[in-house]
Amino acid sequence: MSGLVLEGISKSFNGVSAVDHVDLAVPNGTFVCMLGPSGCGKTTLLRTIAGLEEPTSGRILIDGADITAVPAHKRNFGMVFQSLALFPHLNVGENIAYPLRIRSVGRAERVKRAEELLALVDLRGYADRPVARLSGGQRQRVAIARALALSPKLFLLDEPLSALDAKLREAMQVELRKLQQRLGITTIVVTHDQREAMTMADLVVVMGQGRIQQAASPVEIYRKPVNAFVADFIGSTNLIAVQGSGQGVTAPGGTIPGVVLAPGQTSATLSVRPEDIHLVPVGEAPLTGTISFIRDLGASIETFVDAGGTQIVAVASPRDRAEFRVGDTVGLRLAPESCRVLAS
Amino acid sequence: MRLEPPRRALDYAPLVFPAVMLTVFFVVPFGIMVMVSFFQRQPAGFYTPAFVFASYERFLTAFFGGVLGFSLGLAALVALICVVIGFPFTYELARARRSVQVVWLVALLSILSLSEVVIGFAWSTLLSRTAGISNLLVWLGLMEKPTALTPNFGAVLTGMVYQALPYTVLVLYPAMARLDPTLMEASRTLGAPPLKAFLTVVVPALRNTILATFIMVFVFALGSYLLPQLLGRPQHWTLSVLITDQAIYQSNMPFAAAMAVFLVLVTLALVGLSLLVGRKEIAA
Amino acid sequence: MTETTKTGITRRTVLAGAAAGAALLAMPSILRAADRSLKIGVYGGYFQESFDEHIFPDFTSATGIEVQSISEPTGEAWLVQLSQAARAGQAPADVSMMSQVAMLKGQAIDLWSPLDQAKLPNLKNLLPQFVNKYPDGRIAGVGAVAWYITLVTNTDVFPEAPTSWAALWDPANKDRLGLLALVSNSFLLEVTARTFFGGPAKLDTEDGILEVMNKLAELKPNVRLWYRDEAQFEQALKSGEIPMGQYYHDVTGLAAADGNPVRSTFPTEGGILDSGCWAVSAASKKSAEAHEFINYMSDPAIQAKLTRNVGTAPTVARSLTDLTDKEFGAASSEIAPIIPRYDLYQTKSDWLNQKWTELIVAG
Repeated sequence: MSGLVLEGISKSFNGVSAVDHVDLAVPNGTFVCMLGPSGCGKTTLLRTIAGLEEPTSGRILIDGADITAVPAHKRNFGMVFQSLALFPHLNVGENIAYPLRIRSVGRAERVKRAEELLALVDLRGYADRPVARLSGGQRQRVAIARALALSPKLFLLDEPLSALDAKLREAMQVELRKLQQRLGITTIVVTHDQREAMTMADLVVVMGQGRIQQAASPVEIYRKPVNAFVADFIGSTNLIAVQGSGQGVTAPGGTIPGVVLAPGQTSATLSVRPEDIHLVPVGEAPLTGTISFIRDLGASIETFVDAGGTQIVAVASPRDRAEFRVGDTVGLRLAPESCRVLAS
Repeated sequence: MRLEPPRRALDYAPLVFPAVMLTVFFVVPFGIMVMVSFFQRQPAGFYTPAFVFASYERFLTAFFGGVLGFSLGLAALVALICVVIGFPFTYELARARRSVQVVWLVALLSILSLSEVVIGFAWSTLLSRTAGISNLLVWLGLMEKPTALTPNFGAVLTGMVYQALPYTVLVLYPAMARLDPTLMEASRTLGAPPLKAFLTVVVPALRNTILATFIMVFVFALGSYLLPQLLGRPQHWTLSVLITDQAIYQSNMPFAAAMAVFLVLVTLALVGLSLLVGRKEIAA
Repeated sequence: MTETTKTGITRRTVLAGAAAGAALLAMPSILRAADRSLKIGVYGGYFQESFDEHIFPDFTSATGIEVQSISEPTGEAWLVQLSQAARAGQAPADVSMMSQVAMLKGQAIDLWSPLDQAKLPNLKNLLPQFVNKYPDGRIAGVGAVAWYITLVTNTDVFPEAPTSWAALWDPANKDRLGLLALVSNSFLLEVTARTFFGGPAKLDTEDGILEVMNKLAELKPNVRLWYRDEAQFEQALKSGEIPMGQYYHDVTGLAAADGNPVRSTFPTEGGILDSGCWAVSAASKKSAEAHEFINYMSDPAIQAKLTRNVGTAPTVARSLTDLTDKEFGAASSEIAPIIPRYDLYQTKSDWLNQKWTELIVAG
């Protein structure tokens, strides 16, 4: 296929496995976010794609061609490092034109291209500035411009926005996505921020313990997590242990109508998003519990309910929620289509 | 913690100790040396307090100019070779495993603890005809018969580089260890092969460190006075050798002091000049 | 310790004194003997070891004077230290073994306390060149030890001993020589004058000296090492790395006796006879003890003992000693010696040094 294909990539350091048999296909032009907790192997996988780490086993293909043995400097992938790795001895323009200088591109051509790239990242007129005299966001843009200088086949970013404050980070997420769409370049961003992943990605790859747990669109990842790890890592969720059969299931606080288990299965874990749990007066739903804590965040209210020993969180906007107090016994209504039975 | 600018005299108190040490151990001895350099030499030995330029006049001749030039050139060459060898070595060392680093650093420190005498005798033996490495080459069939590889300029250079290299590595090491390793990786992803990445990123990013190291090794090498005697011919004797001769063997303290003052001044001038050039480069 | 306090204290003597004091407290019987004591400066290393072993204990038992031997640095550094200490009224050593040039330089500043001939009955035994006098006739120092610098060779490389200093100039000996680096300790001007210009009179004028130096310049291609420190040359001579040169007769003899393939030859022109003097610092307050020591050392029996045990040439006429031919030959020779022109190194010191340095340093 055209695009990036990883086949059985494994990487271990001194016998300790960091990436464990990863298979992934990324069509050209896709924006991929690799998401996972620290130590899950996502950065190692990105560095392996860049050619900075040699995989212990497996193959990397670009448009069908095996590039596993191609050294980093011949891959023509642009990469933005978490530290940004701007060259301290070069000014903004020289940093951006560095890859052109390496290829012995003439000075006039270099200046022209640097200007173009600076325009692309909204930094016109900064070419002569020393990198030490830039703000965090500006440094970020310089690093992006430099990585794009050679119109790379693949654009790799390792936690690119982690050093920025929350507001700037959100703005940059949108900007990065727009830039990617404008250039149509295959992009892989490593992040531990699921909001960031949801904002930018066409394809979210959730990693845990060196493996891909799930690779799917953001909505699918959110709505249909394949296991507890993904469900828990993406947004917040209620994990409810249930007993049952093909006829129905019982949770500690009562039955949940409309949910059935696969044939032969007698117990399972249900993942239900807090916004899919509606609080109703006792008697209006078979599942009940006692309110233990209420967190009113203004735009939304989180209600913590103790249902037979399991804590269940429900989120609703103040308009959609009836008045309850701590200590009240309430019914919990769950739509069957919002309950996801997880693979155990 | 916020750093407040000093306001009261007491705020300068922490500076007192280094200031006193600098005065006692550097300014005062140097002042005495300058003073003695103007004293009147008594041919029978010793000197009497005076203010005469005789010692400087004796120094300002083509002969001593030649020796001074040779000494500066030799020290510069030693510093250059040390930096050229030491820089890539330290780069690799700083990236090696911890245990490897410890072994190397201990080895280098132990070389540093050797005196010039030990180094000089060791190398004169290593380069000798009767017990030196040429015997090994003969045994390997690479040479016809053992020959003495000393005394000559190459032997002096080898000994001095050997002596100064650990110093070079230890001066370079902290900066090298602090260098962000992703700079090299960034360079590689931007299309630079490893050597080119090293030359276009690591070397220029550390040019101030390189300059500082060069200057330190240069000054260190200028003080060498035993190795040129042990491994070189008289034409390879440095000004430090002649200073020692005057101070120790001729008891001509004013002349020895004048030569030493001149050497210090020329050195300071060269160091100042190179710092100036270095700063201009960075501003440019 | 009371003595130390009286003679004045430097930091160095306090440290040494502390160590000695601890030793004295541990051995109270020696405390009484230490009532009369003397600090004697001797060239560090071989000389100091030999004197500590063979001379000082006998002197102490003969006279009751306790000796503290002080290691002197080489060159004229000791002279500088003595003179600076004397200005402060201190004597790091009461009696010191001094080179002839240092003696002359010390005389120039009246550093040496004049010696009283009446207290030195053994003085009559000494050869005349070993009594060192101020220009006005006062005695500045008395010969302590004498030694020869001779032509030495490695016997493996030179099966035949050379006979003349002229061997140093032989083109066949290219890159084979080890010579002393300084004009004032190599005495090569005297050797050249004797070998090629008929004698030391050639050195009376500066023109004559320059002529001698030009002749000396001819042997430069033969010199592999101009040494300042003996150890630099001795090892190379033994191994044959540098198989010929000038070196100390006695030390070479000892090395040969240890089985090393080296020999010392008195050339037909004579060996270089250098010597050290006993001199008393003007700041010393131990005049009586110092005279007693110098007189003891001038005894022909003690000189013979020195020759036997230390290998130095006797400062008294051979006839006064009971030395056998073999014993005498190990330290000296009947061939008339080349006696250095010490006066030159005092009066023309800087000029000679400058010309010499230019001579050997010039490529």
